[in-house]
Amino acid sequence: MGGGLRDLLTPRGDRVIFWCWLALCLMSLAVLWSVTEPIIGPYENVDPGVPKSIFWRQMMWAIVGYVGLVVASRVPLRHIDNLAAIPWLVSLFLLLLVPVIGPVISGARRWIVLGPVSLQPAELGKVSCIILNASLLARGIDSQRKSLATGASLVLTVIPAMLVLKQPDLGTSLVFGAAWVAMIFWFGMPGIFLLVAATAAVSSILMFYSEAVLHQPWPWGAYLLVLLGLLYWVRWSIPAKVTMLVVNLFSGIGIPIMWGQLKGYQQDRVMAFFKPAEHAFSSGYQTIQSKVAIGSGGLFGTHYLKGTQKGLAFIPERQTDFIFSVVGEELGFVGAVFVIGLFFVIVIRGVDHAAKVRKPFSRFLAVGIVAYLTFHVVVNVSITTGLMPVTGIPLPLMSYGGSNLLVTSAMLGLLLNVSSKSFDD
Amino acid sequence: MGDSDITVRHALLRTIIIVAFAILVVNLFQMTVIRHRFWQGQALENRQDRFRVRAPRGRIYDRDGALLAANLYIADITVPRKCLTPAGPDSTLNRLIEWFGLDRWETIDKLQQQAARKDQLVLVSDASPARIFTVEERGRDLPGVKVVTHSRRQYLFGPLFAHSLGYLGEIGPADLDSTKSIYTQGDYIGKMGVEEAMEPALRGTAGIKLEEVNASGRVVGQHPVWVRDVVAGTDVHVTMSLKLQQRLAAAIGDRPACAVAVDTRTGEVLAAYSNPGFDPNIMGGSLTTKQWNELITNPDKPLFNRITQATYPPASLFKTITSLAGLSGGHIAMDSVLDGCGGGWTFGGRYFRCWKKGGHGALNHTGAMMNSCDTFYYQLGVRLQVDELAAAARSMGLGARVTTEFDDEVKGNVPDSAWYDRHMGKGKWSRGVLMNTSIGQGELLVTPIQMAVVAGRIASGGRMPDPTFVKDPAPVRRQPKALPFRAEHLSWLREAMRRTVSDGTGRAARLKTVSVAGKTGTAQNPHGDDHAWFMCFAPAEAPEVALAIIVENAGHGGTEAGPIAHAFLASYFHEDEADSVAVPVEIPEGAD
Repeated sequence: MGGGLRDLLTPRGDRVIFWCWLALCLMSLAVLWSVTEPIIGPYENVDPGVPKSIFWRQMMWAIVGYVGLVVASRVPLRHIDNLAAIPWLVSLFLLLLVPVIGPVISGARRWIVLGPVSLQPAELGKVSCIILNASLLARGIDSQRKSLATGASLVLTVIPAMLVLKQPDLGTSLVFGAAWVAMIFWFGMPGIFLLVAATAAVSSILMFYSEAVLHQPWPWGAYLLVLLGLLYWVRWSIPAKVTMLVVNLFSGIGIPIMWGQLKGYQQDRVMAFFKPAEHAFSSGYQTIQSKVAIGSGGLFGTHYLKGTQKGLAFIPERQTDFIFSVVGEELGFVGAVFVIGLFFVIVIRGVDHAAKVRKPFSRFLAVGIVAYLTFHVVVNVSITTGLMPVTGIPLPLMSYGGSNLLVTSAMLGLLLNVSSKSFDD
Repeated sequence: MGDSDITVRHALLRTIIIVAFAILVVNLFQMTVIRHRFWQGQALENRQDRFRVRAPRGRIYDRDGALLAANLYIADITVPRKCLTPAGPDSTLNRLIEWFGLDRWETIDKLQQQAARKDQLVLVSDASPARIFTVEERGRDLPGVKVVTHSRRQYLFGPLFAHSLGYLGEIGPADLDSTKSIYTQGDYIGKMGVEEAMEPALRGTAGIKLEEVNASGRVVGQHPVWVRDVVAGTDVHVTMSLKLQQRLAAAIGDRPACAVAVDTRTGEVLAAYSNPGFDPNIMGGSLTTKQWNELITNPDKPLFNRITQATYPPASLFKTITSLAGLSGGHIAMDSVLDGCGGGWTFGGRYFRCWKKGGHGALNHTGAMMNSCDTFYYQLGVRLQVDELAAAARSMGLGARVTTEFDDEVKGNVPDSAWYDRHMGKGKWSRGVLMNTSIGQGELLVTPIQMAVVAGRIASGGRMPDPTFVKDPAPVRRQPKALPFRAEHLSWLREAMRRTVSDGTGRAARLKTVSVAGKTGTAQNPHGDDHAWFMCFAPAEAPEVALAIIVENAGHGGTEAGPIAHAFLASYFHEDEADSVAVPVEIPEGAD
């Protein structure tokens, strides 16, 4: 480690990850500049376009993010490990505060307004949950009570996740789950768990498809018959077979119940995913417009600043959740793959660092961060390209939003921090 | 947790990440490269809306090139329907009412009448430039308020050509169903006269334009693409002459009457005026319910085109045909003298009166024509067969439509034995009907344009083609059928008609320099006073123009209709009007 001012101003650790972060921030600013150009032609209070101020705000947040990145990359990880509970408690407090003092924006309470700055406590919740889980699992890894650690981490994850779900923000609450699954996987999960989880997912999806889309019971019924046949054939213990069957039954039967719990617009979005044509002008509108934008971009795009889907205001939420549609339209396949590639380099190097470092806390932290980033990117891109139903998930570093930019930068700073150890070791 | 464990999990996690990102990239490739054309088409469809652009309607000119019907481009200021909230007008509408100084309740009432049918309601039609500027300037504060330009038909001479040119009206649902490929709702089509007859030429072809729109559906005005070009409607030149029409209308004045003049060489209608009329300029859009009710309840039927739609007994005008039928059947000679007129004639135990109570005394055939002696024609009539007279009438153009252009033209009626059998019962009628038909009364019904054709066919010896109102684009004309009368009989008739004007009942039509041939008539009207008829042609020796006039409830043809013919012909032959108007005429009381 060097010394002096230079150290204070630059992050340490994996340079490649840092350059990818910087490249993504610059891409974000470039695309936001295009998005905030005035829309073409007269409009009637439907979409007045995105104000230019958003670009300048994002630039400010990128600088703040840089500071967060540098700080997070230089803070000794053991301090973070020891104080892991504090950010979690703070975020829990803030999440509890949101329903009380948060303003309702587009039918949801997600923000806390502090003067000129609006914060999304859910963003802090994600990172603090990952840190606390990493700390917890690192302590449980060598003990005999791994199940206790698993259970405790599940509780610590579900509490903030439920609060976020109630905001409502389904997408972000799923991020908590994704990061937890990845960390538990790294913690050590018997293969049969994975198998049970996977079959449960299949059971749920088939049940949903039978019930809500096809209105016929046979796909799920057929699946259960196949499962029964396989269970009869494999040589497992009786409790394992029973567990498998029960989990599958419950995850199947639970779906209609959970479906009833979803809000109307959430149901519509899921249905729009399965039957896009019927919802082309309602809940499927966003997906269709986004696909049109990306598909019409072609190999090299319609040229920077020249996208018509963007310029004529057809892409909704084009400065936030659907910013990738603008990338696809104006920069084409090449630009879109470039952005995805930058994320890919970050996460794949992150996984490698997670495998290399010795300290369990660093490992779990890296895996959690990678899972968080991967989930965000894959789900966001899948939504904008119509592979998944619409749910509110920003594209990290790219989408406009200070909280997300700062938190993602800080998490990448932590990843850099971890990577510096993997080089040291 | 062993290192091998870590290696396996690391490899698994890596694989999951690689597969997930690979799926994204493959899907992107599929969308942007393989299905690029499809999505590009979708993007184009997204931002392009089809707009139909109406073609400017062809103008209408008179035979000398004077403009009769043109298109006026006017701007309406419209407000969206949502301005009319259940509670009353919203702030946008209130602001406009205030700025324009409109009557508040009248305006709201007007808008509410439109609200059931349209999304954009016309607040001000034919707006002044000042008001248009106000809207353009303050458009930001007036969401949804638009200036919509469109064309309106302008008839430069208003009621003068109302019936013959017709007017435009919004296409009705029935017409729309059968012509979906050509018209859309809100289009205007010709409703009468030349506008209706020449609709296919006048309307042109509407263009189709693709305009770029943004997500709120507003045209952004860049890169319009024409799918189909606008083809302007063809200009139409009618056969009528503005000058002659004006002269005719002036001569008729405000009497319920009509007159039609044809060129006997070409069949071209030179003037056709039916009174009372209406202003075709207000028929299309701005006609109020009150105005409409006035039009349809007026006892003088202003919407009725008397020239082609009204039927009257031809009265004494028909004596020309009775004479021709008698001559060609050999029942009478050109110089025959029948029993003298003592004021009437007895047939079948009934006494039939001549119009002249004191009688005409002994007359030869020509004299009978000149003095329109009924007694003479009663005697001639009974020599004829019913069907013989009917055939003669049909050969002159009666009992059938004479124009090919006007769909609303009626046929009139020429009764023959089959007709009497049908309407009175076989064997229940006698040749006594000839007593009436030979003097043009009874069941005979004709339209004024048919009588103009009769005059024209007599004048041209049957060579005059059927009448037409359109000169250019040239209409398809039917070849005239030769008359079944001998030339010497026709020239005798022309001479008899010439003498009718020079020395007989038609003296009111005399001109100074040109000899006129004509026949007067007085049609019995069971509902009121008799209708005055006159038909004529001139010059008598080499006819150019034929004319038929009827003045309703006016009395005698010679005194009422004759001067109209005189005024028209004086104008046609460029006689100095001051010299020619006051031709002293002495016509016996009650002459027809």
